[in-house]
This record gives sequence, structure tokens and C-alpha cells, in this order.
Amino acid sequence: MFNGFSHSVMGASHEKTGLVCQDSSAFKIGDHYAIAVVADGHGSKKHFRSHLGSKFAVEAAIEAIDRFYEDREALEANLPTNHKLIIKNIEKQIISNWNFRVEKHLAENPVTDEEKSKFTPEEFEDILPESYYGSTLVAAVSGSNYTFGVQIGDGSLVALFEDGKAIMPMEYNESAPANVTASVCNSNAATLFSSFYAPNRKLIALYGSTDGLYTSFGSEHDFLDYHTIITSQLVNLETFKNVIINNLSKRSHFGTEDDISLSCIFNEALLKDRIDLLNKRVEENKKAAAARRAAMLEKKV
Amino acid sequence: MSNEHFTEPEVNENQNVSPLDDFDNAETVSAAPKSDNSILDFDDDPLSATSVSKKSLVIFFLIDTSGSMKGKKMGELNTVMEELIPEIRRVGEADTEVKVAVLTFSTEVRWMYSNPIPIEDFEWARLRASGVTSMGAAFKELNHRMSRNSFLNSPSLSFAPVIFLMTDGYPSDDYKEGLRELQTNSWYKFGLKAALGIGQEANDNILAEFTGSKDTVVHAYSGGQLAQMIKIIAVTSSQIGSKSMTLSDDTGHEIGEEDVFAAKQKLLGQQIQELVSTKTDGDDVPFDTGW
Repeated sequence: MFNGFSHSVMGASHEKTGLVCQDSSAFKIGDHYAIAVVADGHGSKKHFRSHLGSKFAVEAAIEAIDRFYEDREALEANLPTNHKLIIKNIEKQIISNWNFRVEKHLAENPVTDEEKSKFTPEEFEDILPESYYGSTLVAAVSGSNYTFGVQIGDGSLVALFEDGKAIMPMEYNESAPANVTASVCNSNAATLFSSFYAPNRKLIALYGSTDGLYTSFGSEHDFLDYHTIITSQLVNLETFKNVIINNLSKRSHFGTEDDISLSCIFNEALLKDRIDLLNKRVEENKKAAAARRAAMLEKKV
Repeated sequence: MSNEHFTEPEVNENQNVSPLDDFDNAETVSAAPKSDNSILDFDDDPLSATSVSKKSLVIFFLIDTSGSMKGKKMGELNTVMEELIPEIRRVGEADTEVKVAVLTFSTEVRWMYSNPIPIEDFEWARLRASGVTSMGAAFKELNHRMSRNSFLNSPSLSFAPVIFLMTDGYPSDDYKEGLRELQTNSWYKFGLKAALGIGQEANDNILAEFTGSKDTVVHAYSGGQLAQMIKIIAVTSSQIGSKSMTLSDDTGHEIGEEDVFAAKQKLLGQQIQELVSTKTDGDDVPFDTGW
């Protein structure tokens, strides 16, 4: 029923500064559900193990969601009425899983002298150990007729439901601090998640991406149109995958030079059924983009 | 049965490119970074339809179009601005997407276009002068538009903007109230601000209140000077504004963004003063004698 892909490319700016890719991404196709996950390690000086932190975040999310699906029938019976509580519990479980991985890794791999050498002893003392691994996380799940997602820090989720329109379904948590990237490493991380729940809607495709993708666009319209175009080509995923991968590389290279990750899950049967609609949407978007451009270039004085 | 797929990050190298991806075509590479994300080509690689956006810099021009600007001043300003656009375009050919927004103020305040326009597409609309000098209203309008919810809503990251004020007279409204509102705007706080007084009547103290420093205020008393000063300020501020300055100092310690913006504003003042001092006045006729 579901299929998917995920990919992470390393940003040109990280190549220049000798950093490894800080992003991680994955997807999982379960028996009756699918998960798309991306994570973006912070990459700045004090988050010197954030490439591992993002990997742990992706693993932690899949493990947490899988655990809730161990009794899928009970989960799906409870989601319509208790989705807030269930999603909150998934968020807590993700943070717990992530902390477990970080503690284990740190115990097995203590901070090296070389890692410490970048700081004065006082500076190093001030950094909380989990901060070494700081990362964002975007994870989304789709079942037979519902979709939900969680997010902490930057990143985007785009969904195309059966009407073929690309939308950003996330309801942002207004209590998350403005202008500060929330992170799985924050001591109050479990309270900083944003989430959404979309019941009684069949999903064609769902995408999670790190902010390197969003910031490579000049407008949100273009960003959404991009996902519609990809969706219209997913029927030929095996051949189209390379086009997507190369395009992500080019977006990083010619855009803001950040790492970019994209993870996608899609409903193969519904995609085939709605392919004409999707192609129509692509054409409509093209016309709307031309109309926006014409309006933009109209002089007002 | 379930499938779990983790992705190993791929290093961004240009060799590994599918023939389907026409970004590799040299012509397209040069076109791709263009600021206009509406240049659509759905015929080749479908994904090239939505072009790549670079970090952007918006240059705001605030231009006094009150009645006292009528005649030579406005004529000269129109000509200089038409000539200036190709020069700023060259700044944009580096790795920054430059956009221009022009706000005119007289009895009313009015934007030349409804949004900042990519420099490649920008065409100057010749301005006419009439009415009074509603500078305070212009400051309020700028404050309103200089926001993530309005003119600065592009997903691609923005450098702090350049804000360039040109006026020849004393404001006819309460400019201080407008300025107080504008001063609460973070884009204004971190933006590069410069001002040009045109003719004898322009008050440099008011302009320095706007820019925050006398170093970034210059004065033009003649048509020749007006052309020189506009070019010096616009080109220098776009160059500095689009420069990525490091967020760490020489010892590798991270420094705050505020320090970076303060350093940029200081550099702008120094460069403007250096360039202005090397320019000769020329022998053209002053605005206030006979024009």
C-alpha cells in the first residue's frame, strides 16, 4: 500500500568548513502504516556531535512510533478521541529514546581531548552533555485514513491529501521560543513539540524536510508546488529518484549551502488513482505562478 | 513485514549528476541562482520549474517626492536611479539575490511596486514631485512592511536590509513618532542605514537620527554630487550588506549577531566617508542657486 524514499545531501558550506553532514533521514513502511523522518543536527561549535544526535533522533522517532503500533487496533481505536494524549506520549517517548541513545554513546565514547581542545575549560564546563548531540526532528505517520506528525525545531512537513493540494499541516506550538531553534537536547524538549492530526482523510503523499530545503525557495508557493511536482512523478519512483537526489544537491549547492534532507511516504494505489488530478494541479500551479509574477511586476506609481 | 530505510548522507559533488537534471547545463547553472523563482520551465526536468533561491538582500529606497523636489532635483534623481540599477545588478551577480523596494513619500506614501522586485526584473518608474513631506508616515509604512509577514516573507534567508533615505527638506508631519515606531523593528535595528540630504534645506541632524550616526549621512548640493552620492551609498551599502561576516572572532570564539551588524554599520560609515572625501565637488551648478 505505502512506498517511500528518503535522502540527505551534505551542504556546500559544510564541505568548506570540514564538517560532516549534520542531517539524517529515514522512512519506514509498516504493515498498515508508514513513517517519514528527518533530523537536522545543529552543527555549531558546542553541538560537536550533532551529526550523531540527528541519527539518534531519527532512530528514536521510528522506535517510539513502532512501539505504539505494536497494538495497532487499540491505537487506531483511540486516536480519534485521544489523539492529543497519544501524540504527547509519542513525543515523550521519542525524547526518552533519544536521551537513552545519547547517554549510551557518551558512556562508550567519552569526549576526547581533541573535542575539548576547541573550548576553554570554563566554556566546556558550561555545556550540558546532551547539547553535544543537539538536533531538530520532523516525523510524520500515515495510516489508512489518518495522518499525524510531530516536530521540534526547524523543518517542514508537506501533505497532499486526496484533493491533490499541497499543504503544510503542522500547527505550530506558540509556546516554543521565537527565534531560538528548539531541540531534542533542550531540558524541556517534550514541551517544545508542535504537532498535527488529520483524521478521515486519505493521504496521497507526505514529506518531511530539513530547513535547507525550505530556505532554497524564494516563496512558499514555489516550495509547495515543488512537492506537487514530485508527487506527480512518484509513479516512476525508481527512475525519478535520481532526479530528486540531484535536485536536492543542486538546491544545496546554489541555494543557502545547507544540508538538505527529504523523506517521503506515499500511498501507491491512491497515487495511481489520482495521477490525472495531480498533473492538473501541476498545470494550475504553473499558471498561478505566472499570474503572481505578472502582478509582482506591475508598477504602482 | 516491514521495511525500514535509513539514508546515508550523500556528499554534494557535482560529478554525480543524472542527465535528466539540466542544472548541470552551464547555461542553466548561471540562470538557476537568479532571484526570480517564477522563471518556469516545465518542459525539461520537472523539478527545475521551481528555481533555487539564494540568500537575499532587500534594498529599501525611501524617496522624498514632495513639491520642493520638483524640477532639476527630481529629474536628476530619476536619471541617476535609472543608471544605478545595472550597477547594483552587478553586486547581485555574486552569491546574493538583490531585491529593490522603493517607497515614495509626499502628501501620501506609495510603494513603486507591491513587493520587493528582484534586481534583474526591476525597472525604474520615473517619479514626479508634488505635495508635502510626510516622512513620519513613510517611517510607519516601512515599519509595517519590513516584516516576515509582509515584504520579507521569502523562505530563503535574508541579510539585514539596506535602508537608504533621500530628502531635500524638513518633514511636514511628526517624523519622531514614525521613527520611534520604526526603531522597534528588528530589521531596522540590524539593517544598514544611510541617508542623503539634497540641497541646503535638508536637515542632516534629522537624517543622523534616522541612520543612528553622522558617518552614514551625506549631502549633495548639486546635480553632479547627487549622482555621485547616490551611487556611492547604494553600491557600497549593497556590497557590505550582502557580505557574509563571520560569527566568530580571530580566536574562534563565537560572537553575537548584533556585533556583526554593528561592525557592518561602522564599516559602511567609514567607507562612505572615505569615498565622499575622494570625490571632487565638480563645477556644476548648486541646486539652490538658479535651479
